[in-house]
Amino acid sequence: MNGTASADVVIRTTGLVKEYGSTRALDGLDLSIRRGEVFGFLGPNGAGKSTTIRVLLDQLRPTAGSVEVLGTTPAAGGPQLRARIGYLPGELAMSGRTTAGELLGYLARLRGGAGSERIHPLAERLALDLDKPIRGLSKGNKQKVGVIQAFMHAPELLILDEPTSGLDPLLQREVIGMVREAQGGGATVFMSSHVLSEVEVIAERVAIVRQGRIVDLDDVATLRRNAGQQVVFEFVTHVSADDFSGLPGIDDVAVDGTTVTCLLRGEPDALLKAAARHHVVRWSAQDRELEDLFLDFYRVAVHAEGVVTDVR
Amino acid sequence: MSVDTLPARPANDAQPSGLPVVGWVLRQQRRSLVIWTVAVAAVSGIYASLYTVMDTGELASLVEGMPEGLVSALGYDTIGSPAGYLESTVFGLLAPLLLLVFGLGIGARIVAGLEEDGTLELEFTHPVSRRRVIFERHLAVVIQVAVLSVATWLVVAATVMAIDMDVSQGDLAATGLGLLLLTLALSSVAFAVGAATGRRVIALGAGAAVAVLAYLADALAPMLDDGRWLEAISPFSWYLGSEPLVNGIDPLGFGALLVLSALALAVAAVTFDRRDLGV
Repeated sequence: MNGTASADVVIRTTGLVKEYGSTRALDGLDLSIRRGEVFGFLGPNGAGKSTTIRVLLDQLRPTAGSVEVLGTTPAAGGPQLRARIGYLPGELAMSGRTTAGELLGYLARLRGGAGSERIHPLAERLALDLDKPIRGLSKGNKQKVGVIQAFMHAPELLILDEPTSGLDPLLQREVIGMVREAQGGGATVFMSSHVLSEVEVIAERVAIVRQGRIVDLDDVATLRRNAGQQVVFEFVTHVSADDFSGLPGIDDVAVDGTTVTCLLRGEPDALLKAAARHHVVRWSAQDRELEDLFLDFYRVAVHAEGVVTDVR
Repeated sequence: MSVDTLPARPANDAQPSGLPVVGWVLRQQRRSLVIWTVAVAAVSGIYASLYTVMDTGELASLVEGMPEGLVSALGYDTIGSPAGYLESTVFGLLAPLLLLVFGLGIGARIVAGLEEDGTLELEFTHPVSRRRVIFERHLAVVIQVAVLSVATWLVVAATVMAIDMDVSQGDLAATGLGLLLLTLALSSVAFAVGAATGRRVIALGAGAAVAVLAYLADALAPMLDDGRWLEAISPFSWYLGSEPLVNGIDPLGFGALLVLSALALAVAAVTFDRRDLGV
């Protein structure tokens, strides 16, 4: 995607395609994650996030295209590669009479004991009772088990699928703190989410995936700038939408009686001058949530295909 | 820096030593394995000891009144003898039935079933090769099937001694080995189909189909004019066809069961290595 030397790239996919039967889950996905960054991977359920992650972990084999993780393909890297990765599944299925501590001990044994000494401190930090049977754990507590097994061996690469889902705000902060510490220790973090606010606070760059393709890739600050403002004018008399649509940087003009709402990106000059030709009684301009921007990518792309006009 | 904020360790490529997966599986299974062992041992012991209250003369006259084909299909032609009795009750019917219910179930569940419900995702994404997952999980099946078979054999051997039945302990041990090999072979088929497809129901169905067909082929062979080929391809005939309770180990039949198990394991390892997991 850019000229970054391959030694600094931890994950690289080029034209990655994955088909299940007639379904194309990934449709030419290009990604390049740099060493040491926290990268957000965003998209709604079914966009291809988990498929991508499972290709990185050699659970799925690509139909076409290439994938490289820490300098090798997931299939060639095998167990040695997975030893350098910590993975938190999006949906943790755990059952049985064994306790959380026993499961974590087993997972540490699968890593040759790596990280077993951190099980107790991490459990304490997340307030997880290691002696409780797994099948009796709440969703949040299961998520804690997942977080501990992903972080305990201090891996070079953390792949987190919806890491803070199911956790209360306090624990969300704790996990975000752990991500920051891991990054401080030199780890690269690749985290997926269907909620932008979840990655917004820690990710430096964000990719938005839709129908198996990256539709946008930017740093969070640029995304925020492009998100624009939601502007509302209230006039004394009815006005025509034509007065506002077509102005530079203006989209989504909607007229409801005497109220006009529109989306502003860039300078407000033209909009204000157009509005000033009428009698304005009230106005507001509000930064949009990144969430809305995220939806834009879906709406525009879907619109272009003429399938639906609004996915909301 | 506290212990939970260690820096990332680039050189960390530690892998497991020993057989951690086997240990974990057996730990998870221990309760069900104990229950099954007790149940199988109890049923085998009770049926073996019922020989004392059986009136062999009455039994013989009952069998005489039955059609010849049916008699040989049920294996009742020798039911009057101690070996014949044990073969037609414990080793030819109840023990294989119970062991196969257990073995096919565990064979289908231990990879395909746990993969389907997502339980294995963490194991798959840890530094364990797919081959290792297959070999260790199959070894766990071998151990469990062996525990049940040995329990059956020991209980029957003890009963034979207690009620002084005229059966050679050597031949009895051989039959116990045959029971283990039959159960292992068919459980391995279920295991392999599960490893290849990732679908528990398909694995269970395939294993059960092979088991039923094997039993039917063995039962029908004597009733047909040229039924010998049925015995040649039936794993059930490989197990009991040469009457191990009288003749001891059947190298050809037992060998065939062993080959089937090994073949199934090889198929499991190769197919599991190539496919997508958890789809």
